[in-house]
Order: sequence, then structure tokens, then C-alpha cells
Amino acid sequence: MSTKEIPKLIDDKGIRIDGRKKDELRPISMEVGVLARADGSAYIEWGDNKVLAAVYGPRQLHPKFMQDPTKAILHFIYNMAPFSVDERKRPGPDRRSVEIGKVCAEALSNVVLLEKYPNTVIDVFVEILQADAGTRCVGLTAASLALADAGIPMKDLVAACAAGKIDGEIVLDLKKEEDNYGECDLPLAILPRKKEVVLLQMDGSLTKEEFQEAFDLALKGCLEIYEKQKQALLKSMEVSEDS
Amino acid sequence: MDIEAYLHKDYILSLIRQKRRVDDRDFEEFRPLAITKGYVSTKADGSAHVALGNTKVVVGISIELGEPYPDKPEEGVLSTSAELRPMASPYFEPGPPREDAIELARVVDRGIRESGMLPLDKLFIEDGKVWVVYVDIHVLDHDGNLIDASGIAAAAALSETKLPRYEDGELIKGEYQGNLPLNGIAIPVTTIRIEDELLVDPCLKEEYAQECRLTVTTMDKNIHSMQKGGGHGSLKPQQVEMAIDYAFMHAPQIRKEIEKA
Amino acid sequence: MSRIYASHKQLVCPGQVLAIDLPGNTNCYREGREIIAAVKGQVRVQGKSLKLVPLAGPYIPKVGDVVIGVVIDLFNGRWLLDINSPYYCTMMGEEVSKNPLHEDLKSYFDIGDILSMRIAKVNEVNEPIGVKPWKLEGGCIINVNPRRVPRIVGKKKSMLNLLKEKTGSKIVVGQNGRIWVKGGRMEITIDAIKTIERFAPTSGLTDRIAKLLDAHLRGEK
Repeated sequence: MSTKEIPKLIDDKGIRIDGRKKDELRPISMEVGVLARADGSAYIEWGDNKVLAAVYGPRQLHPKFMQDPTKAILHFIYNMAPFSVDERKRPGPDRRSVEIGKVCAEALSNVVLLEKYPNTVIDVFVEILQADAGTRCVGLTAASLALADAGIPMKDLVAACAAGKIDGEIVLDLKKEEDNYGECDLPLAILPRKKEVVLLQMDGSLTKEEFQEAFDLALKGCLEIYEKQKQALLKSMEVSEDS
Repeated sequence: MDIEAYLHKDYILSLIRQKRRVDDRDFEEFRPLAITKGYVSTKADGSAHVALGNTKVVVGISIELGEPYPDKPEEGVLSTSAELRPMASPYFEPGPPREDAIELARVVDRGIRESGMLPLDKLFIEDGKVWVVYVDIHVLDHDGNLIDASGIAAAAALSETKLPRYEDGELIKGEYQGNLPLNGIAIPVTTIRIEDELLVDPCLKEEYAQECRLTVTTMDKNIHSMQKGGGHGSLKPQQVEMAIDYAFMHAPQIRKEIEKA
Repeated sequence: MSRIYASHKQLVCPGQVLAIDLPGNTNCYREGREIIAAVKGQVRVQGKSLKLVPLAGPYIPKVGDVVIGVVIDLFNGRWLLDINSPYYCTMMGEEVSKNPLHEDLKSYFDIGDILSMRIAKVNEVNEPIGVKPWKLEGGCIINVNPRRVPRIVGKKKSMLNLLKEKTGSKIVVGQNGRIWVKGGRMEITIDAIKTIERFAPTSGLTDRIAKLLDAHLRGEK
């Protein structure tokens, strides 16, 4: 039997395989402060993605020689649960996870006021419990909420979202099939207030014009994500008066 | 030095001596148990999220095609692993599982295996081909008694796991042919000793003061696995008996919760 | 011309612009003329100025704070204490001894001892020096969110005095979120403190706690 036929990802009316239009996000829900032990935490369901982020810190960094007397060091560990993907993934970091950890740590290190906590470490842990494309964007979005939940000072929240190209069309927020069979994936993370870019990656094939369209679309997506982040964070701050 | 443990130990002891627990439970009472089956249903073949008090564990089941062990050619394979994720506690470090995670996985595994709740002979497909059932325990929030929370989550996950469709020598991903065959549900119940008192389902602060623990896994009227651990302390024979009684006392109710969920 | 955009008691997220042309604030940062929230918190507007009260965050020692610490090391004529902060606290042997390098400091305070101290100095990398140690023996320590400590003490110590009066317990409150309780009706004291922590942002808390304490003492709970 031959390989599975590549499905048509977007029809002539611009409707995608899950019924979305080109600039529509998947259904998203966010909750802040979900873990009892961690200093800060957040949980996001984004399409079929289920992602948990937690923060410990600032705290002592060992070994001492790794300490930086001018600022805190931010570590980001991205981990996929074995059952989070179609074929069970062996536990432990793989090269992809290490790379994602690095670019996400750089994104957050831009926005956290690290100089306030010299010689310490801020540990950010992201667990992918169920994956369906865009996990680094979901993880970074959740991590930023977890940092805010922990009361760690930051310039702004970090909102992340990806755009891509499927069947020649630029679309927002790819799901798994679109990422697998599409022509480009462009994850973007910004600081919403000034639209500063803190994470930008791309793989596939785009002309300059297509890139501009994809970038603008991803930016628009990030701003929508930011509204949801604010709502979730504000909700977690309300105190119920019940006893 | 675990500062948290050190600071809380005396308080816990003083409460126990007054016959009280830090969260006002009776000595043989479990914390509130919340089970969500199918927690991650799109990729895993079965799953469950368990919150036991503030302890939170997710178990995912992945079923793959594989080869049987050479000494058991007509049986499927059960493989259980556990990760104490660093988000669950400031004392969990990233890295490969160390002795606590390994003990946790093996204790949960023994409960499932020795009870026969998962009949491995029913996982035989044909010569040289069997189903391999991966039980992956992901501890997300540690507030004590990881063993019971994980064992309950594993049992709940298995109870809703579907067997993938097998056709022409291949696993058809995303399609299923009924549920994983189960003979019952094995439940672990952990009791700890603090001085002369026995407490069921310890929370984290109580674990700081414990001398040792005993986990008893039962299914129906039989004991299928036991594990003494969690400290250097010893147990008197009548304390072992009490722990067994507690296990039989709680397992049926927990089983009902799993079925209801 | 200064302008305040946020309203009194408004809850805000990091990155929200709170005002322009106002002096800076510990939990905010300045960019050009704008004052921007750096943490999740509640805005307090007082006339023409504002304060951002954070709802979470690590305890960073300040000069003058009373803290409760645990001795975790001693060497070179000084002790090192854990004070529930990313930064350990140092206390010099001179606080209790005239000849700290030649005396056995263990005879004063040993590893594991719980002390209350005052923070006398904090250096440029947030490392504190503690003075005036007082060993806390017996009783027990409970942990609370350091941000809730002011509420547990109350205006002019009103809440703390209420607790001491009604329960008869000795209470030492550390700004670092550790509270030592000894004697009196300890479980009632602890329950009350945990309740204050939980409902800190609400109003009428002092009355509520007074009622709770009375109910406990009457044996109703």
C-alpha cells in the first residue's frame, strides 16, 4: 500500500481542515496558579496541546562558580512526556528539547529583570503533556504566566504564536497536520507593549513578501494571546470571600 | 539539609501526640481524591490525572507492537516508568530517574503485574508479536504519598485504555479495537509510622516526620504486593497487620471512585 | 504633568503602564516618562502618588527586618543561616563572643538552631548580615507568604496583639514569612494565622479573626 495521501489543507473558500479561517487561533484556555508546591505555575490548553509550566526561584545556584554576581541566571527546561506524542517518546532530553530550552531561556532572559537577583538562578520548567504543533509557543506563553504568578519582576508578559504556509496560503497557528504537510512554520514571541521580538524561528520556504505577511499575522496572533494571558492572570489574583 | 522538613517535624510530632493531624483528618482517613480519566486523550492510548490532596500525578499509557521476552514468548510486555518532574518539588532535579523514582515505578509495576489485573497472555498477537504496554508516571506536584497517587492514576488510566487496531502486521494508529482486557483493579494503600501511631495517606509534612512507610497493594480479597520503605524505622508485626487492614478498608472505595470517574 | 492611569485597588499585570511623570517605585520600572508595573499586584493610589503592592515574590532581606533563620553552617568565626530567601544570612561571632575565632561557637548556636535576628546590613548583591540573635526553643515554626506578613502584624500591631491576647501564645513574626509560636492555645493561634494569610486582601479581617478566635476558645471548632 502506498504512503498516505497528503490531504488538502485549505479549501477554495479558505477553510482549513478543522474549520478555521486563515487568521483564526485554535480554542485556548489558560489557568494560572495550578500547582501547590512551585513558586509560580500556569496550565494552557491550546487546540489539542496540553502544557504545564512551573517556576522555582530566584533560588541559590550551585555550583558557586556558575553564579553571576551581576544578575540571576534563567534556566528553561522543556520536556515532552512519553505519552504526549503519537509514538511513545523515550524519557529524557533530546536535541530538539535542548534547543527549544535555549531559545526560550533567551526570550525570557530578555524580559525578566535579572539584575535584581545577583548570584541566583530562576528555573523554568515546561512539561508537554499532550502535543499538537506549536508547543514551544504554548510553553513560552505558559512560562511567562508562571513567572508573573511567582512575582518575579518582568518588563512585560511574553506572548507567543506561530504562523505558517499551507497549500501556498499564509495562515495562523498551525495544527499538527498543517505543520507536517505545510510549507513553512514560523514561531514568534513578543513583548506585547512595544512589540519587541524575543523569539523568532522559521523553517520552510518563503519569499520576502510571504515572510512579511506571515510575520504580521503571527504578531496579530501574539496580541490576541496576550489578552487571554492578562485575563487569566487577573482572574488568579482575585480573592474569593468564602471561608 | 531539607529546611522545610526540619522546621515542620517538631510541629507534626506535637500534633500526633495530641492525636491530631495537620489537616484535621482522622489517622486512617484519605485526603480528597479527584480522578480525571482520559486526561490526555488525543495521543495517549489511555490516561488519567489524579489529585490526592495537593499531590498531582498524570499517568499516560502508550501501546506499541513489540517482541515478547524470550522466556515468555506467549505474553505481552508491561513496562512501567516514573519521573519525578522537577516542577513537583524544589528538591527534584532534572536528569535520569534516581532511586526514589525507580522505587516508585517498580512498586506500581508490581501491583499491576502481581495482581494479574492486566493479563499479559491476552496481549499475545501472533508468533513473535505482542502488545507492549508502557505505563508512564509523571509526577507534577508533590504533597506526599506519591505511591498511592501514582498507583491509583495507573489503575484509572489502564481502565480506560483502548487497544489499537492491528491489521496485516501493522498497528493502525488512531483506530481502536475495544478496551484493554483487565481482570480487576489493584489499589496501593500506604500507611506511615510516626512514633507509635499509624497514619494513612501521609501528606508531605507528615512524611518529614515519618519513621517508615508500608505500602500494601490489594485486589479483591488478596494482597499482591508490599513494600516497606521511606526511612530507617522498623515496624512491629501488629503494625504490619494494621497497614494490611487499612489497605483492605480503603481499596473498595477507591475502586468505586475509579469506576465512577 | 504627572498623570495616574491606574485606579486605587486595581489589580495589574507586568507590563501595564500605571502613570507618567511620577517618581520611580520598587515594583515598577521607568521607561521614558512612563511608570510600568513589573509584577502582578494591587495599585494603591495616595493623592498624587502611587504604590504597587506585589502579590507574590521572593523574600529579599531589608535593613531593619526581623527574620527567623536556621543555622546551616558555621566557620571562620561566623554563622550562616537559611532565612527563606535566595540569599543566606551571615551572623558574625562578635555578636555573642569577644573572641570568636578562638572560641567554640557551637556552644552558642549550633547547626539546626532556630534564631530570630535583625538585619543590620545588606550588601550590593543582596547578602544580609544579621545581629541581635535570640534562640527560639520549643514551640513551632509556620511558613506564610512573606507578602502577607504586614497583615498578620496589622496596623500598629493590632492583629498580632489580638492573637497574643486571645490565645496566650508567644509569637515572633519574621518578615521573611516564618512565624514562631509557643505555648498558649497553639493550634488556635496557627489556624488564625493561616486564615489571615488566606484572606489578607479582604476588609474587616480583624473583626473576622476576633470572631474566629472566640469561637475556637468557646470550643465550637
